[in-house]
Amino acid sequence: MRRLNAYALTFRLPIIIWQALFFIGPLIFVVAMSFFVVKNYRMVETFELTSWAKMISRDYVWSAYRYTLVMAGSAAAIASILAFPAAWFLAFRCSARARQVALLLLIVPFFTSYLVRTFSWYTILAEAGVLNGGFALFGLGPFKMLNTPFGTLVGYLTLVLPLVMILQTVTMANIDTRLVQAARNLGCTPARTIWSVILPAGKTGFVIAALFAFILSFGDFVAPFYLGGSNPPTMPILIIDTTKAGQQWPRAAVVAVMMMLTLFSIAFAAIVYSYRKRASR
Amino acid sequence: MTEPLVTFERVEKRFDDFVAVKGATLDIGAGEFVAIMGPSGCGKTTTLRMLAGLDAPTSGTIRIAGQVMNDVPAHERDTPMVWQSLALFPFLNARENVEFGLKMRGVGVSERRQRAMTWLDRMEIAEFAERNVETLSGGQRQRVALARALVTEPKLLLLDEPLSALDAHLVIRMQSVLSRLQRELGITFVYVTHSQSEAFAMADRVVIMSQGEIAQVGTPREVYRAPRSRFVAEFVGRNNILPGEVVASHQGMVSVQTPLGTFNVQGDAAPGTSASIVVAADMMQVGGGENRLTATVISEEFVGSMVTAFLEASDGTELKVQVQERALADLGLETGREVSLGWNTADGHLLVDETP
Amino acid sequence: MTTFLRIYLLALFGFVFLPIVVSLLFSFNSDRFPTLPMSGFTTIWYETIFADPDFWRAARNSLIVSSCTAVIATFLGFCTAYTDYRYTFRGKSLFLAIILLPPTIPLIIIALAMLAWFAPVGMSGQVWSIIAAHTVLTAPFAMAIIRLRLNQIDESLEAAAWNLGASEWRAMREVILPFTRPAILSSLFLTAAVSFDEFTVAWFVSGLNKTLPVHVLEIVQGTIDPQVNAIGTLVFGISITLVVISQLLIFFRLQREAA
Repeated sequence: MRRLNAYALTFRLPIIIWQALFFIGPLIFVVAMSFFVVKNYRMVETFELTSWAKMISRDYVWSAYRYTLVMAGSAAAIASILAFPAAWFLAFRCSARARQVALLLLIVPFFTSYLVRTFSWYTILAEAGVLNGGFALFGLGPFKMLNTPFGTLVGYLTLVLPLVMILQTVTMANIDTRLVQAARNLGCTPARTIWSVILPAGKTGFVIAALFAFILSFGDFVAPFYLGGSNPPTMPILIIDTTKAGQQWPRAAVVAVMMMLTLFSIAFAAIVYSYRKRASR
Repeated sequence: MTEPLVTFERVEKRFDDFVAVKGATLDIGAGEFVAIMGPSGCGKTTTLRMLAGLDAPTSGTIRIAGQVMNDVPAHERDTPMVWQSLALFPFLNARENVEFGLKMRGVGVSERRQRAMTWLDRMEIAEFAERNVETLSGGQRQRVALARALVTEPKLLLLDEPLSALDAHLVIRMQSVLSRLQRELGITFVYVTHSQSEAFAMADRVVIMSQGEIAQVGTPREVYRAPRSRFVAEFVGRNNILPGEVVASHQGMVSVQTPLGTFNVQGDAAPGTSASIVVAADMMQVGGGENRLTATVISEEFVGSMVTAFLEASDGTELKVQVQERALADLGLETGREVSLGWNTADGHLLVDETP
Repeated sequence: MTTFLRIYLLALFGFVFLPIVVSLLFSFNSDRFPTLPMSGFTTIWYETIFADPDFWRAARNSLIVSSCTAVIATFLGFCTAYTDYRYTFRGKSLFLAIILLPPTIPLIIIALAMLAWFAPVGMSGQVWSIIAAHTVLTAPFAMAIIRLRLNQIDESLEAAAWNLGASEWRAMREVILPFTRPAILSSLFLTAAVSFDEFTVAWFVSGLNKTLPVHVLEIVQGTIDPQVNAIGTLVFGISITLVVISQLLIFFRLQREAA
C-alpha cells in the first residue's frame, strides 16, 4: 500500500514535529547563536563574527581544545587497551552463561548516578581519602591524585570503561570461532591469532567502542571539573563557565560548534576507516 | 457453470518495475475448488493477495459475486485466508483466535464463543480451546487456522500454501480434511500451492501460472494429459517430451519426425511445423505400444507401490516410465539394461511449439 | 594465563564497582569525612535528607519528569519503530537518523542548545522543558527496544487481522499493541530510569525546578557531604528496581513463549 493515509501519518508526523522542535531546532539555533552578539547584557540576533574572532584568538581556548582532545583520546585508548584482555577472556574463555552475567553486571553502572560515582571517587582519591589511607598502612604516600589529569582520567574511565568492555565482548563473541580455530590449526600462536585474525575481524566493533569512549569523554564536564579541578579547563567546562557565569551564550555556542565539528569529523573518519577495508575485500 | 463467483478481467499487478501478474483473466465458479500453482515468483500468491485486498491491482478488474472489488479495503471483504505461516495470534488462545473475525464484526460475546466452540468441535480440537496456540502441534494449529477462517461462514476461502509446513504424513491427512470440508460446505476454495500432488489431489480445476501469466486452466486430467505449452508439460512432470517436426498430416492425425524416430499422434498441424509429442510416464509401456523406441535404464525412484524408471535414449533424451513396483522384475527394468519402450498413438499428445 | 586473566577481570570489575560500593558503605558511616577504617554505623544522612524539604521537592520533580518522559518517549519510540517495521519510503534513513542521533551528541551541547532555544519563549526553567529534552534523549532507547520486539513478529499477523475484518486502527489495537506490550512496558521503565539519572541538561534548563540529580550536583559543589552518598544509594535503588522490573517483564514473556 503506497498511498499515504491518516493512519500512516499518525505514526510518522509526531516524531518529525517533536524532533524538529526539540532537537534539530535547538542544534541549528546553537550554530546560529555563535554569530549573535551580546549588547548591554542582552543577546542580539544578528550575523557577526565577533564571538568567533574573540574565541579563536584566545590561547586559553586552544589550550583547552588541545587538552580536551588529548585527554579524551587518552581515555579512549586506555579504555580500549584495558578492556581488551578482559573482553577477550569473556568472549573466548567463558561459558555463554558467565558472559551473560558479566554483561548484565556491566550494565548496572549505567543506572547508578555518574555524579554520585564521581563524588565517590572524590572521597576515595582525596589526600585524606580511602586510597591514601590504604597506602599509609604500608608507609606510602600520601599521593596527590585529585585535581590532576590522573583524577580526570579516572573519572572518564568510570564513565566509558563498562561500555567499551560490553562492546568489545559482544564484538569478539560474534566472531566466528572457526576463524580462530583455523588460525590456531595453521600454526598461529595465540598472540599472532589476536593480531592477524581477531583484530581485523572485529575492527568495526573495536573502532565503534573507542569512538563512543571518545565522544563521551570529550563531552563530559563532571570528571574534569570535580576530579581534575578544572585545571586546566576542558571544552565542556568552558561552555559552563561562559554560560553560567559570563552570560556570554554566543561564545559558549562557538565552543559548542567547535566541539560538534570535531566530533563529526572524528566520527566520520573512524567510520570510514572501519568500513573501508571490508568494502574493498 | 452459472454466474461465476470470482472473475479476473485482464488483471495486472506491478511492483515498481517488476510485473508480478500480467493480463490475468479467469472465472471461478461458486463451490469450485481451484488450485493456483506454479514455480515460486510466478505470481500465484500475488493473485491470491489481490483477491483478499492485500494488494491492489494496477489495472484490470476483479469481481466477487458481481461486485467490483478493486477499491474495497481488505477488512471490508469476506475473503478469509489460511496463511502459509498460519499467522495465529500468539497472545490469544485457540478459542480467542477463532473468535477474532466474529469479534471484528461486532458479534456478541456469548454468541461468538458458542460459534467458535462449534467450529473447534467440528475440527476435532475442542479440548484445546483454552490452550495457548504456541503449545499446539502443527496439525492442531492448522485446524485452528481453518476454524478461524471459516467461522464467519464465508462464500470464498483463500489458502496460501497452508500445508507447506507440515510433515508428509500430516499433509495427506489434511488434504482429506480440506476436500471433505469443501464438499460439505459447498463454498469456493482458492488454493495456492507449488505442489502438484496437493493440487491434483484436491482441486476441481487447476490454474498454472508462469512468470506472471496464466499458462493453462483446466481439470487436473486435462492439464496432465493435454498440456498446452512446453512449460506446462515440463512443470506437471512425469511427462516424456519428444521434440521434432511435423512431416505429414492426414485426417486429424500427424506424423512427427524426432531424432528417435517418426511417430504418429492425434492432432492437426501443417507439415513443417515444429512440434513435440508428449507422453505421460504412466502411459509408457515396456515392450509394447504402437510407437516404439529403445532406451537404457539409468535409475529408479520408488514412491509407495509405484516406481518411476528413468531411461536415456540413444541421443541422450531422458525418458520416464511409471510402473507398479511388483511388475518391475518381470519387465526387466534393471539399471544399465537396454529395453524397448512404446506407447499407443491415442495416449500421445501433440504439442505445437508456440511461435516466438 | 587463565588465572591471571581471571584476576585481571576481577580487578576491572573492582574498578567499575568500587565507587558504587564505597558510596553505599559511606552512606551509613557516621564520620563526615570518609576515611578508613570506617567510624561507625549511622542513618543520620538518610534522616537529614528525608527532613530536607528541598530533597522532597527535587524528588517530586524527578518523579514528574521521569514518568512524563517515559510515556512520551515510549510513544515516540513506538511510532518510529512501527513506521520502520511497516513502511518503506523515500527519506526513511533521514527519518531514522533524526531520532537515533541524539545519544551521539554530547549532553553539554544539547543542554546549551535547549537553554538557548527555550529561553526566548519563556520555557526555560520549566519542568516541561526538561521533559522535552529528556524525551529526545531517551526516545532512541524506546525505539530500539520496541523495534527488536517487532523483529520477532510474523509479518502476516497484521495482514491476518485485516483479512479477518479489522481496520488498520483495530489491527493496531488488537494485534500490534498486544504483541509489543512487553517491550512497551520495558521501554517505559528503562526510559524512566535514564531520565531519572540525567543531570547535565536538567541542570541547564531546570532553573528553580531542580530534579534530584541537580540537587546532588549543587550539594557536591558546596562541600564533602555524605548526604550525596545517601541520595545516590536511594536513586541507585530506584533505578535498578525499574531496570530489573523491565528485564523481568521481557524474561517472563520469553519464558511463556518458550513454554
